[in-house]
Amino acid sequence: MRYYIGAEARLRRTIEDAAMSVFESWSYEEVITPSVDYYDLFEQGMGQTEAQRGFRFTDSDGRLLALRPDVTSSVARIAATLLADRPRPLRFCYAAPVFRQQPQSHAEWRRENTQLGCELIGTGGKNADLEVLRLAAEILSRLDLQYCITINNVDIFNGIASELNFDTPAREQLRRLIDTRETDELNQFLRHYSANDGRAFAQLAQLTGKRNVLEAARSVIRNDRSLAALNALEELWNEIEALGLQDDFEIDLGDVPSLDYYTGLTLKIFVHGAGASVGRGGRYDGLTGNFGRAEPAVGFVLNLDALTEVVGRRKAK
Amino acid sequence: MITIAIAKGRMQDDALALLGRAGIRLNTEEVNSRKLAVTDETGDYRFLFVKPADVPVYVEHGIADCGMVGRDVLLESEADLLLPLDLGIARCRIVVAAADPEVMTRAVGMLRVATKYSQIARAHFGARGMPVEIITLSGSVELAPALGLADLIVDLVQSGRTLRENGLTVVDEITESTGRLVVNRASYQLKAEAVARLVNALRAALNGA
Repeated sequence: MRYYIGAEARLRRTIEDAAMSVFESWSYEEVITPSVDYYDLFEQGMGQTEAQRGFRFTDSDGRLLALRPDVTSSVARIAATLLADRPRPLRFCYAAPVFRQQPQSHAEWRRENTQLGCELIGTGGKNADLEVLRLAAEILSRLDLQYCITINNVDIFNGIASELNFDTPAREQLRRLIDTRETDELNQFLRHYSANDGRAFAQLAQLTGKRNVLEAARSVIRNDRSLAALNALEELWNEIEALGLQDDFEIDLGDVPSLDYYTGLTLKIFVHGAGASVGRGGRYDGLTGNFGRAEPAVGFVLNLDALTEVVGRRKAK
Repeated sequence: MITIAIAKGRMQDDALALLGRAGIRLNTEEVNSRKLAVTDETGDYRFLFVKPADVPVYVEHGIADCGMVGRDVLLESEADLLLPLDLGIARCRIVVAAADPEVMTRAVGMLRVATKYSQIARAHFGARGMPVEIITLSGSVELAPALGLADLIVDLVQSGRTLRENGLTVVDEITESTGRLVVNRASYQLKAEAVARLVNALRAALNGA
């Protein structure tokens, strides 16, 4: 519940325009989706846990509606339905407010925030992943921000988890311990698993850095699925180095997002001056399949309100 | 330079002693003065001394990069933080205690629970499907049963003396609590080297102890 007045509103608009013009220069088409839609759409798109954080209410006929908690679900649906016959890949971008319930006490207090986002649908592999990473980097440097983008591949975690035959609650507890880097508890938890990969997990939580991370991970990981994911990550890292962007990127094997829908690359965006991440994204090849047409897709969002705060504070100095 | 928020009170001395063993030394006079922020001898670290419940707040907002605070406080705040290290200091238990241990089984209807830790208490009884009324107090919780305010209390116990003196017995242990190092998610990436240096220094000090 935030007002922007005069200079602040102008600054916010400038940042939005900067991002949108970068998207446009990469041939991304703007898409505007409804702010109110049937709740089912978001549950299919985001999964139940995330969708339930949306604000929900009923229509006059009793059907459940929601204020959109994300834009990706809507874009995935039109890609699979209305635009099923369009030649691939599809490139879409948007600047749109999304609405989520927030626990009262947390640092992320905004119930409404504007996402600057893009979706690249219908093409997979390294080049598509690299394209969205370069886009994010270009927007952030256009805004003159000092940033760090962390990348990971969820299949490194998934490969180890399936190797150890975890059920869902155990998998979720493990994910949470890695996510919060609770090394001691992690070692406790994995004590009963003698497999090599079990010990690998405890290390994952601490592995963040550059190319050295890949080598360290390779020395403890044995299963094929994780190794394939590690190779994909390395190929991406080679490209990042070739572009000379390695100072602004970091590999973080401990970033295991709560969203179940990521299927490959995941990324988080941090900028100096913000106490929490200002953006995230990744690959979600399973998403459009929920709407009847499975195809690879990758994208990210930046939080316009968080960016405005950082840039605004810098100007005030 | 990174900023570390330290919980005042029960944990402060143990935390400073541990930092000392990790080679991070503070001027005692400055710590005891009323200064808000104190810098260590090398100038690499800045310390804030704040109330325990405020540590997760400062760290989650990134005002402090790291913090040292009890797990009890973290459970209560539900803040989104990284917890890379168990410091093993200020060890205590969070327990359910009653004047009459039978009350848990005999009571019908609703039990009244007095506590400073309403989130922890709610989660504990909720998970057991026990209907309770939580009465939030800010101190001297052990008086509540004697004065008839509550049937049970949920509180921290170190030696158990305070409970005994007030005629209370432990009926259930919820969890153990120790001091933790917490780290802001953004600082963990943006100040990766400095944070890693602190974590490694503290870990070395813990293992050496």
